[in-house]
Order: sequence, then structure tokens, then C-alpha cells
Amino acid sequence: MNRNYLIFDIRRTMRNRRVLIFSILMPLVLFMIFGLTIPKDASEGGISAIAYVMVSMAMFGSMSAAMSSGGVIAAERDGGWNRTLRLTPLKPQAYVVNKVILSLLLAIPPLLCVFAFGMIFGHVHLSLTQWLTVAAVSWLGALPFAAIGLVIGYIAKPDSVQPITGLSTMLIAAFGGLWLPVDQMPSIMKHIAQLTPAYWTGLTSRSALTTGGVDTQALLVVLGWTVVLGFIGLRRYRADTARA
Amino acid sequence: MTTTTAVSLRGVTKKYADVQAVAGVDLTIRAGEVVALLGPNGAGKSTTIEMLLGLVKPDQGTVQVYDGTPVEAIAQGTVGVMLQSGGIIEDAKVGELLNLVAGLHKDPMPVEQALERAGIADLAGRVMKGLSGGQKQRVRFAMAIIPQPDLIVLDEPTTGMDVESRRDFWASMHEETARGRTVLFATHYLEEADSYADRVVLMRQGRVVADGTAAQIKASVSGRTIRATIPGADLAALASLPGVRNVETRGEVVLLQCADSDNTLRHLLENTTAHDIEVTSADLEDAVLAISDQVKEQDKAQETLA
Repeated sequence: MNRNYLIFDIRRTMRNRRVLIFSILMPLVLFMIFGLTIPKDASEGGISAIAYVMVSMAMFGSMSAAMSSGGVIAAERDGGWNRTLRLTPLKPQAYVVNKVILSLLLAIPPLLCVFAFGMIFGHVHLSLTQWLTVAAVSWLGALPFAAIGLVIGYIAKPDSVQPITGLSTMLIAAFGGLWLPVDQMPSIMKHIAQLTPAYWTGLTSRSALTTGGVDTQALLVVLGWTVVLGFIGLRRYRADTARA
Repeated sequence: MTTTTAVSLRGVTKKYADVQAVAGVDLTIRAGEVVALLGPNGAGKSTTIEMLLGLVKPDQGTVQVYDGTPVEAIAQGTVGVMLQSGGIIEDAKVGELLNLVAGLHKDPMPVEQALERAGIADLAGRVMKGLSGGQKQRVRFAMAIIPQPDLIVLDEPTTGMDVESRRDFWASMHEETARGRTVLFATHYLEEADSYADRVVLMRQGRVVADGTAAQIKASVSGRTIRATIPGADLAALASLPGVRNVETRGEVVLLQCADSDNTLRHLLENTTAHDIEVTSADLEDAVLAISDQVKEQDKAQETLA
């Protein structure tokens, strides 16, 4: 990790507020549509339905925010910036780790906002430990999406990175059961859902609501996704800078 | 211990698909030299530079920068690079960008100093996007010197600059070479190679076709021309002097093209009444064109043989 670079990236992101605001507004709006309209006593798999939707939307928000770092990478590639970096002592791993940390930071505001909404307007009541566990697990759940952002950043051109990110966010969220519970879909959908990292991140986050603990198997799948995608991102970084 | 060799390329080749971009280059640059890599587009300058920076792997041959590989030299921050275009972040401020680059190096110079030396102290707060081409080049130059490198490599540094900013740029560059830095720059401006380099390496079709000081290259082709007023000159005698290739007259003024102007000059002063003597060399452009023609002829001859 390179601290200067991280500060630089944060400043740059703050200047480009559109992405940040969009990543917060989108899950909030969805939460209002799908969450606040639910009767208070409804439940889904032993969890109050509104808490279920809250966690899903928070996950959705943090995941789309985390993936938006792909736009930063695509823009840097387009300008030949990666080539400049190759001509400095910065190690490829440090670049990739930096962008993953940036993604994780971007994932925090939507998480917090959706949780605050759920607490205030959705009247979701959780113990402090549950809040903290859900927040921590949901935050870590952004990791595989940070890695997806990395990969998209290397595959897409700057002008196509937004639609590609948008489309993949929606597909992953929809098929991964973040918008509608997988249990309410035909069983084939459950098999498809299991192929997306979102299913597993949703599972880990919600496990904190029911048991107070964390589904370790799901967490391992999430970390597995992160490692594999992160590795692909690293490979792409090296290949990409070899000759631009 | 001091290393006296900054860059060493040995038998380096690189082929892209059907194009032999670099066809066997040997080049040694000693520490402290200012070398111009001169040649038309497609001569292999950029590929040669990319190989010596470790961005591109040569098909054959070896590249050494100081005591190690290019990648090692880059990792140690001993090389500062200014690329031809791109290589910056458009939505960043100049100061931010330089701060970032400084943070990537072990022993950078203060950002203010880099801004100062590149002549852009007033631009620190400006966003890159709004800068002119020449101003961006200066930012790239600041980025190249910020690591306090021993070797500075510049690929066509003045492309897109107007005459005045080009002159200012070379003035800044001069301060760096005065500090003893080794410099390699690619250019297709003959005038820049002529004025700013200690040594000119002329490339054509992936090969080095001439290597020496600008004066040597000029002389190697057409020698020098002596222009003198010689009343009643014996033209036949002058033409038979060793090294004299051609004699022309314009009234009493005689033009002698000679391979060894020093000797011819000595003869003129000792044995004739020559006065108002001027010795001029062909300009670099003539030389480059002549060398290029020679290379073309050789290539044709080889093709006929094959």
C-alpha cells in the first residue's frame, strides 16, 4: 500500500461527488420502495422482513460503490497512467491493494446511510453487537466486488465502464438475491444465485441477524472470490502495462 | 566505486508481427553524456527506449542500465522518464500529481523544487485538463526529475511545443545536465539534436546508422566546404590535392569540398594567395539525408544479392 496514493485517490473521488452520491441514493431509494412498504410484522426466514431488506440494500449499496473503483482504473489506464507507474518503484501489488482499499472506503457511506435509514424510518431493532457484526460483515462483503471493479477496470474502456459496471451490479444483485429473496424464486434460481458472490455476501450479512454469529462457510466463499478476482486483477495490471 | 556506463544495449532486436522494429542495436551511453536518439518516425527510437526502460522485452540481446536490468534500475529510482504523451491523470491538480509521484520514490526532491525547476511554480493548483500541451510537457518534465535520477530518458519531449516553450524547455533541461545527469532523448528535430546533445545516434529502420558528435556526423558525410578568394587559382592543382572531392568557382571565389579540410587549408595558406577563407560544414539535415540515402542504397544492393 502507498499512503500518498491513497490520499490522492480519496481527494480525487471527493471531487467527483456524482459517483459517491449515486452510490448512496440508489440503495436508499430501493430500500424505501422494497423495505419501508413492508408490513412491520412480516418476516422472512426468521428475520424481520424489513431488516432483511435493509441488509440486502446495504450490501447492494456497498457492492456498487466498491465496483465503481473500476471507473477510476479505466480512466487511469486510458491516459497511460499505468505506464507511468510502471516507470516508478511502485509495486503492482501495492497498486492493486490501494485500489481495493479505496473500494472498501467507498463502500462505507452507503452502508452507514442504509443502516441509519433502517434504524430511524424502518424501526429496525438490533442489539449493539448485532449492528456491529452486520456492519463489519457487510463491509467485508464488499471485498469481492472491489476485486470485480478491478477486473472491469482492466477490461473496459473508460466510455463503456459505467454501463458495464451498472449492468453487472444489477445482474449480480438480482440473481444473487439482494433485491428479492432467493427462497421466493423457483429452485433453479437458487442454483444460479449460488454462482454469484452476492448470494454469499448476503448470506454472511444476514447470518449475523439470526444467529448473532457469522456463517463461516459463506465467509470463506466470499474470501475465495476475492482472492481469485484479485489475482486476475493483478495479472491484468501486469499485462496491461507491458505495452500500452 | 563509480560506474561509468549508464546504459548498455547489446545486439538488441524486437519484432512486432511482420515489422522488425529494432534490428540489432548496440549502444553504450557513458555517465554524464547527453545523447540524442535521432531518426524519422518508425526508425525504432521508441521501441529502443521502451526496451531500455524494461517496458518491452527484446527478442534478442541484452539491456543493462547501470549495474542491473532496466527493471532493477526503475525499482531503485535511478531513472527518470518523460514519455511522449499521456502518462498523466487529467482530473488531478498539478501539485497533487507531483506529490503522488514524489511519494512513490525513495529520495524525491521537494515538490516545490521540481515545480520551480520545470518553470511551473504558478501552475501547482491547476487541474491538468485545463493546461496547454506545452504546460503538460513541463509537468511531465517535473515528474521525470522529481526522483533525482542519475539518468533521464525523454521520448520526443518537445512534441507539440511552440518555438518559445521549446527554447525554455531546453534551458530547464540544461540545468539538469549541468548537474551531471545522464540524458537520453529521442527527437526528430535535427536542430535539437544539433544544439543540445553531446552525441547524436542516428537510427533508421531499426538500426544505428551513425553515432558521434553532431560535428562528426556532418563531417562524415560531406566533409567540409572551404570557401576562399584565390586570384588566378590553379583549379587543376587544387582538384588534385588529397581529399578534395570537388572544386567550383564563382569568379575569384573558389569552393572546395574536402574530406580533410585541415590539410587542404594548410596547403592553401602555405602555397596560394587565398584570403577571406571560410570553412563550413554541411548542416545536420544534409548529413542525415545523405546517410539515409546511403543506407537505402546498401539495402537495395543487399536485396539484389538475396
